[in-house]
Amino acid sequence: MMARKVRPPIERVGTTFRFNLDHEERDMIHRLMGEMRALLQDPDDDDGRLRRIFPTAYHQAGDQELDDEYQRLMREEIMASRLKGLDAVDEFMLAATGDRATATEAQMMAFLQALNGVRLVLGTMLDITEDHDLGDVDDDHPLAGEYNLYDFLSWMLDWSIRAVQS
Amino acid sequence: MSIAPAPIVVDRPEQDESVLPDTPWIVLVWNDPINLMSYVTFVFQKLFGYSIEKATELMLDVHEKGRAVVSNGTREKAELDVFRLHEHGLWATMQRDDA
Repeated sequence: MMARKVRPPIERVGTTFRFNLDHEERDMIHRLMGEMRALLQDPDDDDGRLRRIFPTAYHQAGDQELDDEYQRLMREEIMASRLKGLDAVDEFMLAATGDRATATEAQMMAFLQALNGVRLVLGTMLDITEDHDLGDVDDDHPLAGEYNLYDFLSWMLDWSIRAVQS
Repeated sequence: MSIAPAPIVVDRPEQDESVLPDTPWIVLVWNDPINLMSYVTFVFQKLFGYSIEKATELMLDVHEKGRAVVSNGTREKAELDVFRLHEHGLWATMQRDDA
């Protein structure tokens, strides 16, 4: 993980939020959001990576028809909502200059949801469990990079929540 | 060929308790290893207007007991709540309140 500055990565400034991220960090987030967009726009029904993005609503055995109806009506809505959120993130990330990006309250909410969505997909791919600890992942593990990325996103999400709640 | 009109078969609508307005439904959020505890608390506050204390208590129920009931109401309301929770990436489901 990258060495952090004393300044928090995301902080509230009045009614807006300032992202103290350098160009590389912003590029990485932008790339991940792009991959999320591509995954949403070209979904495969059997794609396990999206399992947590489109979960079951009616879990009881006798309610399968109700769940089928929910999935038929709401899946598109969830996808549209997620794509709209990714657009909002793009909007302020692409307008960033230097080491600063500024988000409105609405863009910040979209960022939280989008970031969490990426974590859900990556966490599902990595089969993250309650016992997950980055310290247990060897540097030469074939997915060490992905595990580090997952923890970086977790760290950033936690800071984002702190900023919103401050 | 008979010209007598065929008997009309009328489908009697089956009673579906899921659409009865008085049937209460509950919305459950389930524990999962990916969502951060701070994020779950934040979503409860944002979507349901719960205080930080109430939202934290529910989050801890989810984390420690495996699930928590976060809202209830008609099927329509419960479905909307589930949808909003899904929009935010939480593992939410709904069922009739049989308790």
